[in-house]
Amino acid sequence: MSVFSESLKAKIESFLTRYETRRSAILPVLHAIQDETGWVSDAQIEELHHKYGLDRVHVKEVITFYDIYKDHPVRKYQIRYCKNLTCHMLGAQDAICKIKDRIKALDAQLGEDGPFSLEEFPCLGKCDGAPVMLINKERIEHATADKIDSILSKYAPLPK
Amino acid sequence: MAEQKPKIILQTEGLPDQHSLKTYVEKVNGYTAARKVLGGMSREQVIEEVKQAGLRGRGGAGFLTGLKWSFVPKDITGPKYLICNNDESEPGTFKDRYLCITNPHQVIEGMIIAAYAIGANKGYIYTRWEYQEEIRYLENAIKEAYDAGLLGKNLFGSGFDFDLDHYTGAGAYICGEETGLISSLEGKKGQPKVKPPFPAVSGYLSRPTIVNNTETLANVPWIINNGAKAFRQFGTEKSPGTKLFSISGALNKPGVYEVPLGYPFASLLNIEAGGMQPGRTLKALIPGGASAPVLTPAECEGLTMDFEAMAQRNTMLGSGAVMVIDDRQSMAELLKVTIEFFAHESCGQCTPCREGTGWLNNIMDGIMDRSAKPDNIARLGSVARNMGGKTICALSDACAMPVMSYVQKFSGELQAYLAAGSGGHSK
Repeated sequence: MSVFSESLKAKIESFLTRYETRRSAILPVLHAIQDETGWVSDAQIEELHHKYGLDRVHVKEVITFYDIYKDHPVRKYQIRYCKNLTCHMLGAQDAICKIKDRIKALDAQLGEDGPFSLEEFPCLGKCDGAPVMLINKERIEHATADKIDSILSKYAPLPK
Repeated sequence: MAEQKPKIILQTEGLPDQHSLKTYVEKVNGYTAARKVLGGMSREQVIEEVKQAGLRGRGGAGFLTGLKWSFVPKDITGPKYLICNNDESEPGTFKDRYLCITNPHQVIEGMIIAAYAIGANKGYIYTRWEYQEEIRYLENAIKEAYDAGLLGKNLFGSGFDFDLDHYTGAGAYICGEETGLISSLEGKKGQPKVKPPFPAVSGYLSRPTIVNNTETLANVPWIINNGAKAFRQFGTEKSPGTKLFSISGALNKPGVYEVPLGYPFASLLNIEAGGMQPGRTLKALIPGGASAPVLTPAECEGLTMDFEAMAQRNTMLGSGAVMVIDDRQSMAELLKVTIEFFAHESCGQCTPCREGTGWLNNIMDGIMDRSAKPDNIARLGSVARNMGGKTICALSDACAMPVMSYVQKFSGELQAYLAAGSGGHSK
């Protein structure tokens, strides 16, 4: 019995032989897992360890080192908002406050299972579109506070 | 009236399907340089041409590319590797991102030539995770090149094999440091390694490895096609060629612009970037990414965009990340953003960096909530002065340098912010 889907198993297998060493497959394997299941669970790490020969210590050190990997359940829409210099200069903090307000209101309405999470992110590399954010993998530019409601409401209904 | 500017890197910019193999081959003679190299140039000739051109690394350090290549041992057997550093994580930098969606094939062609020069049969492009759209462009370009026989076995009938793969990072600034990148590519935490040995001797999997920035590699086909002498027509004596500048802030046209090195900052700001937004004036300038010491408007007088002019002003050209700070900004807030970034991104190996960035961040928190004592501003400077030159990689210095410049040049504003919150709190 596997914790991985058939398609994910096929992806993992292909990464294991794609690089010079098996260990180099850890990052791509974790990306593939997160693309399908959102985060990396202990059960998944154990299966990587026992069935695919990726040492659990090596896997965990990668998960904890890199910002992108999550070892806990994630919400449906992960917002990563850039708070670095140019985004800061062009209104990131106001937009972040607005997003926090909206998440708080949604969570109050829905309980702990609101659709959005927010991570203030070190840098997204799109300073000419500042302020900028990602919702999952989609990049949204010029995401100033006044546009937050219209942006978020495309993903999930907001409280009145 | 803007002077005529050469295009060495963004040759396909603005053409229909600018990123496609077809456009690169048919409109700008793409892959003719690789054909020329594999058709009869020796490795030494290729390295010599790039050395003569004076091409300097475009990722930040400005090291001579041809010289770096020459450090790979020639008589060694077994695999060697070429890595394109497309991690581009210095805040303010987005030029490699733009290059990837504009002219990805020139990067690939540059890699074929560089790989031949150092004797590598395998290459990787390492891109930061945040560049999802750009990764699709790169993977598509690699596939196009394979389908056309431009990658793989026996390229151009020369007997030279070169395989190229793409690898995606996972959100870590430190992986832009070449040995941190190598650690990451090995499937490990992106922690830098002690040098020497340098990667050219012992890099990826302890094999000889050259790591070059994306833009650096994209210069190579043009140099091969047009010669070192032609390349030196542009730029300055010590900084030849053109450079991609990422310019951002409250500007009319922020973006990526290719101009000759030595180009006046005033022209880059007012012509390429369309000037400041109405009603805003220049308060300060970060000329080369978050780790570059900040300049005052007086220091920007007569400033040219090259390695030497920046060094004269005790700052850096870095990766060409120009961040324009306007009069509405608070220098205290920007310093806090800068310090917090480096404290978050320190990989934790070296004490002066791990602790130093943390201390700076704690002191800065006290300044932001106005609980700090007035002498804490000078303490920022003294902590920073003890962080330089003591660590495995340059991240510690990259944090210390801007901190010292803010304390030196804007201490009045920092004091005022601490005293009364009158430091130009934005909005």
